[in-house]
Amino acid sequence: MTAITAPETNEKKSFLNVERILLLLAGVFLLVNFFALAFIRSGFGITDALQLVVWVVCAAAGQWWLERRLPRRDMLLFPIAMFLSGWGLLLINRLTQPFADRQTVWLVISVGVMMLVAGFPHPLRWLRNYRYILLMIGLVLLVGTIILGRNPSGFADAPQLWLGIGSVFFQPSEALKIILVAFLASYLAEQYPALRAEEMSGGRRFLNVSPRIYGPILLMWGMSVVILVWQRDLGTAILFFIVFLVLLYVASGSTFILASGAALILIAGVVAYKLFAVVELRVDIWLNPWPEADGRAFQIVQSLLAFAAGGIFGQGIGQGSPGYIPVTHSDFIFAAIAEEWGLLGIIVVITCIAVIVTRGLRIAISQRPQSFLSLLAAGLSMLIAVQSLMIMAGVLKVIPLTGVTLPFLSYGGSSLLISFIIIGLLLRLSASED
Amino acid sequence: MRSTREINRLLLGVLAGFAIVALAAAYWAIFGIDTILTREDNPRLFEAEAAILRGDIVDRADHLLATSTIGEDGSVSRNYEYPETSSALGYYSLRYGTGGAEAAYNSILRGDNRDFTTQLLHRPQVGTDIKLTLDLGIQQQIAQALNGRVGAVVVMGVPNGEILGLVSLPTYNPNTLDADWEMLIEAPGKPFFNRALQANYQPGGTLQTLLMAAALLNRQPLETVIENATDTVQLANVDVSCAVRLPEMALTLRDAYAFACPKPFEELAETLDREKIQDTFVTFQLNRPPSLEGFVPQPATGASVTSFPLITTDNLVENALGQGNLTVTPLQMAVMAAAIINDGNAPQPYTLAATRAAESDAWIPVEAIRPTIPYANANTARQLQDLMRSAVANGAAFNAARPNIDIGGHATIAYSGDETQAWFVGFATIAGRQAISVAVVLENSNDPGLAADIGGTVLAAAHEALRQN
Repeated sequence: MTAITAPETNEKKSFLNVERILLLLAGVFLLVNFFALAFIRSGFGITDALQLVVWVVCAAAGQWWLERRLPRRDMLLFPIAMFLSGWGLLLINRLTQPFADRQTVWLVISVGVMMLVAGFPHPLRWLRNYRYILLMIGLVLLVGTIILGRNPSGFADAPQLWLGIGSVFFQPSEALKIILVAFLASYLAEQYPALRAEEMSGGRRFLNVSPRIYGPILLMWGMSVVILVWQRDLGTAILFFIVFLVLLYVASGSTFILASGAALILIAGVVAYKLFAVVELRVDIWLNPWPEADGRAFQIVQSLLAFAAGGIFGQGIGQGSPGYIPVTHSDFIFAAIAEEWGLLGIIVVITCIAVIVTRGLRIAISQRPQSFLSLLAAGLSMLIAVQSLMIMAGVLKVIPLTGVTLPFLSYGGSSLLISFIIIGLLLRLSASED
Repeated sequence: MRSTREINRLLLGVLAGFAIVALAAAYWAIFGIDTILTREDNPRLFEAEAAILRGDIVDRADHLLATSTIGEDGSVSRNYEYPETSSALGYYSLRYGTGGAEAAYNSILRGDNRDFTTQLLHRPQVGTDIKLTLDLGIQQQIAQALNGRVGAVVVMGVPNGEILGLVSLPTYNPNTLDADWEMLIEAPGKPFFNRALQANYQPGGTLQTLLMAAALLNRQPLETVIENATDTVQLANVDVSCAVRLPEMALTLRDAYAFACPKPFEELAETLDREKIQDTFVTFQLNRPPSLEGFVPQPATGASVTSFPLITTDNLVENALGQGNLTVTPLQMAVMAAAIINDGNAPQPYTLAATRAAESDAWIPVEAIRPTIPYANANTARQLQDLMRSAVANGAAFNAARPNIDIGGHATIAYSGDETQAWFVGFATIAGRQAISVAVVLENSNDPGLAADIGGTVLAAAHEALRQN
């Protein structure tokens, strides 16, 4: 039905391929904005310039490595990821300058790990064969976080989602995303014939759904509830559950699964609304933030004000006031973009993420012959898609706010690293070597 | 794997989600500008306002009255140089907004009329300077003459109608407004209330000038001796008497006017009857107080005799003696005096003389057509001038006289409740058609002589100021 998008590798003579052109354009964008920011700030420090240099080195090294290792890769994924992460870096520098150095280090690590994933022999087979070990590692991380979790801010009240060694913090739930998707892809790839057989049986299949389907659903649902209850991490819980539902849907082809899953989310939502203050708060201020604009709904109201203040063309880098939004560099970076680059910037971000997701799902289709690879590509793409949609729709008050990061753009090392690993895996899948 | 259909559906769903996000962003980006962005709790409004370098305000002789300076921390502060101008200039406060001329010309001073490129390129908003018709010297003379008394003074140039002086007391210090605000809004004297423009006073004896106009128009004799002219007139709530204490005696109508004795005017009103009095009051626009651009809004168009508190046979005497339901503003009385000295044609008051764009040295005069309003014919006006001159030469307004200046005026008393106000309404001629008119009102004062004295001082100051150019 859909043609495999073959990467253009036949024109090797030309120095400029799609990837390099896009990286150059991204570099120009960053350079222009870098100087615009320097102009507004009347000058720039050596570390500010160094961040830009590091980005250029990462882009060049990554491109060179991919060219060597995966000549038949998707040509859009890497430059778009670099574009967004470079933009994010610049924005973090603009919003909370001291955090940008740390994020730059994470960018180096992330691109390095992505290169490892891209160059590692048979990482996908590895993912599949050692899935139970991976799952164990994931569960250990989860339990470890529940027991030992901390928050880098040090506030006792904040969600304890991080594991720390010294001053370096990592969010295990981020790694858990990839591990779970890999595990599920592998599990569902095995169960796939049975799942589809039930679809074939037709007739009254809504009534006699086998434990093969609802078993894992309930398991995942339970796990999401655990994350929610013990960690108060609403965003991650919902993200896990939705991505899992989507994978099950792809494997089984049953719309009933989507419906029942959505019902479970609603039930969990209602129960959580009654039980957890954090969920109640999120829903209340989603329904009507205006009366509490200077109280509990301050953040979302400031976020919407940022969108309005940005208008269509934006205020320009360094010239808006996104600083009024608490933690703008992390969960609300989308609103900061809206204020300074306007609706145009927002559409660019949405388009870029949409392109990544589209390419990822295309890869999933092109890998149809191998169920595991297809499901893995679909799951990884949907991780990016669902997480982006949750936070973008959240800061725009389309859905209740759930605290997840915007992939590539938000401040946060774990998030950036995992996003780049996803890109590495998708590149690998697009090169279809395994 | 047969999953193409499912994956395509997913893609469709995801893209629909992205489209919804984009539409939501577009909604707030386009419609949010006029709705949520104008919310008072939007800190950006405050920030943007604080960054505006507001234009300067200067007087007619280029004295700097108000200016904005950028502090070391980049914040803009507004400084007012002369306390004598505060009731006319008003105030500008980030927290409490604007008042007075700062409010009247807020948009100009802010520089809101910036072109599109300036806005797009985020050039800092620099306001336009304005030159007011006020004269710093006159303002200072008024403030000195009032010497802290509660009241108001308006000085107007004739024939153009420029406001040369505008003082209302008590007032406030606009430089420390934010700190004083709570105290000021509770203050008994209502310092934010501009008495010169907004206060509706009982006109009392000031209406005698209009009654004289009615008498002249209706050919009433001015020289006939009226018995018991100095008697007190007993109205329902108040006893009205002459502006100065006089023995019981007979006076002509002309002399009764000079001493502002009410008794002959009670008889005159009854003689002339309701309709003629009302016609004169309407011709002198008593039912339509003058507007002052930015300060006093234009009266609703179509406001006519019907909106006038109709003089009935029952309240004829009260209203004729200025003790009825008819009230006036000091500005209105200054315009009336200006009309009299301008041969019956009332100039329309204004305060904005010129503007100077940011980064420009040239003042651009504000061109406006302000047609005069005919109040009386030239003959009547000249006779009224002479009546007012004689009230200064030999009448209650005697204190207004100044050597070598042609001054006419009328000093009277008005009663409101238990309180009395002293009024002086007058003019001074300069040369040719040039003249000045003034209205002075003192609250809680039964001393028209003092009002006349202040009026004379102010007229002399304005005379001096105008003669120099």
